Amino acid sequence: MAQQLGFWIDQQYCTGCKACQVACKDKHDLPLGVTWRRVVEYSGGSWSTDPAAGTFAPNVFTYYTSISCNHCDDPICVAVCPTTAMHKGADGIVSVDPAKCVGCRFCEWACPYSAPQFDPTAGVMTKCDLCADELAEGRDPACVAACPSRVLHYGEIADLRAEHGDRADVAPLPDPSITRPNLVITPHRHAEPTDAGTGTITNPEEI
Amino acid sequence: MPVGELPLVLFTLLTQMSVGSFVALGAVHVLARRRYPAATVDRLSDPALYAIGPVMVAALAVSLLHLGNPVNLLNVLNNLGSSWLSREILLGCAFTALGAAFALCQWRRWLTPGVRQAVAAVTAVVGLVFVWASAQVYLIPTVPAWDTWTTPVAFLATTFLLGCLAVGAAFVVAASVRTRRAAAQGARPEAEAEVDAMLRSSLRGIGLTAIAVLAVELLVLPAWLLGLANDGSPAATAAAAALTAGGWLHLRLVLAVLGGGVLALFLYRAAAAGGRRLLLVTAGSAFVLVLVAETVGRVQFFESYARIGI
Repeated sequence: MAQQLGFWIDQQYCTGCKACQVACKDKHDLPLGVTWRRVVEYSGGSWSTDPAAGTFAPNVFTYYTSISCNHCDDPICVAVCPTTAMHKGADGIVSVDPAKCVGCRFCEWACPYSAPQFDPTAGVMTKCDLCADELAEGRDPACVAACPSRVLHYGEIADLRAEHGDRADVAPLPDPSITRPNLVITPHRHAEPTDAGTGTITNPEEI
Repeated sequence: MPVGELPLVLFTLLTQMSVGSFVALGAVHVLARRRYPAATVDRLSDPALYAIGPVMVAALAVSLLHLGNPVNLLNVLNNLGSSWLSREILLGCAFTALGAAFALCQWRRWLTPGVRQAVAAVTAVVGLVFVWASAQVYLIPTVPAWDTWTTPVAFLATTFLLGCLAVGAAFVVAASVRTRRAAAQGARPEAEAEVDAMLRSSLRGIGLTAIAVLAVELLVLPAWLLGLANDGSPAATAAAAALTAGGWLHLRLVLAVLGGGVLALFLYRAAAAGGRRLLLVTAGSAFVLVLVAETVGRVQFFESYARIGI
C-alpha cells in the first residue's frame, strides 16, 4: 500500500479542456453544483514599452490548473471538523464519512482548494476520495484516466516529487505551507507566484 | 443585505447576549450586596435571571438550523482535540447547564447564598470562555476577514454591550410590572423604595459600562477595516468591498452610537431622578437600538467571509 498518494499536473501542456472535471462528475454521478475536480483559468497581463521604437507591446498570459482534493499533510478540513467525519485514511487519502457528517460546512469554509463540497439533498459534505474504488481494482482515478493530454497524473508523492520537483505555489493556488498539499505542479512558462496577484480567475462560476 | 447565515447570526448574538446578561447581573449582584440585604437584591435580579435560560436554549435550538444533517448531532463533540466548533458547543452546553442549575437553586432557595454565588461565578467564567471559544471558531487561517485579533475582541464587546443593556431593559420592565401589581394589591409603595434606589444605581452603572464598551467597539472597527484594506489579498479586498457596500456599516455605526452612546449617557443622567416611565423608555430603546446595530454588525461579519485560494 502507498504511503501518501498525490497528484502531479504538468501545467505547461494543459489545454483546459476539462475532460478530467467531466470524467470525475460522471464517475461519481455528482449532483448539480457539486464538482470535485475543477479547472481554474487564470489570466492577466501588462504592457511593456519600447521607448526607442515608441511602441507598446502587450504581455498577456492564461494558464490552467486542474484541482480537486490534494489530500494534504495538514488537512485543515480534518482539523476543523467537529465530528471526525473528515479523516485521513489509508494511502493518505482524505475522505468524508457521510454516516458521521452533520453538515455544518465548517470544512467548506476552511479549505483553500474548495475540495469539500456540500450536497444539499443529502445534507452532508462530499469530496474527492482519489477514486479509492478504482485504485483498489488497480485502475487509475477517473480524472487521470480521462486526460487526453496526459498532463494529469497520480502516484506516490515522494516519487512524483523526486521526478518532477516540489512546486505547488502557483497562483491562484494558496500558499502551500498552510495545508501542505500533496500536489506537484510543473509550472506553465507564464505561471505567477502564489501571492503575485497579477491575474484573475476568469471562470469563477465554474470553481 | 443577504442573510444566508441567519441561524449563526442569531446563535452568536443570542448566546453572547445571554453570557453578557449573566455576567452583568452578577456584577450588579456583587456591587448591590455591599449595601442591601440579599432578599432585596434578589427581588431586583431574579426576574432578569430567569429570562436568560430561555434565550440561551432558543439560541442553541436556532443553531441546529445551520446543520444540513442534524441526525448526526451527537457527533459534534467527537473532535474536542482539534476542532474549536466541538469545544464551542461543549462550553455552550456547559454554560446552559450550569446557568440552569444556578437559576433552579436561586428559585427554590436551595443551598446557602455563598454556595449559590460560587456556582454563579463558575457559570460566568464558563460563559466568558464559551464566547472566547466561539471567536476561535472563526479564526480560520484561510479567511483573512475573520482570522484577526479583532474577532475575539468584537465578540466580547458585543457580549458586554448587549448583556448590560439587556439587563437594564429587563430591570425597568420588571420594575414597572412590579409597581403595577403593587398598586393593584394596594401595597405600600415605600416597600419598593430600596429596590427603586438599587434599580437607579444599577442603571447608572449600566449606562457608563455601555459607553465604555461602545468606545472599545469604535476602536476595533476601524482597526479591522484598515487591516483588510492593507492585506492586499483578493479575499481581503472582497471582504472590504462587502463591508462597505450598501450603507449598512453606516447604519450600524449610527444606531450603535445612538443606543450605546447618546441614550446610555441620557440613561446615566436620568437614572438619578427621572420618572420611572422615562427610565423605561430610555433603557428599553437603548437596548433595542444596540440590538439592531449588533445584528447588522454580525450579519456584516458573516458577509465578510472570503477565502484565499480557489
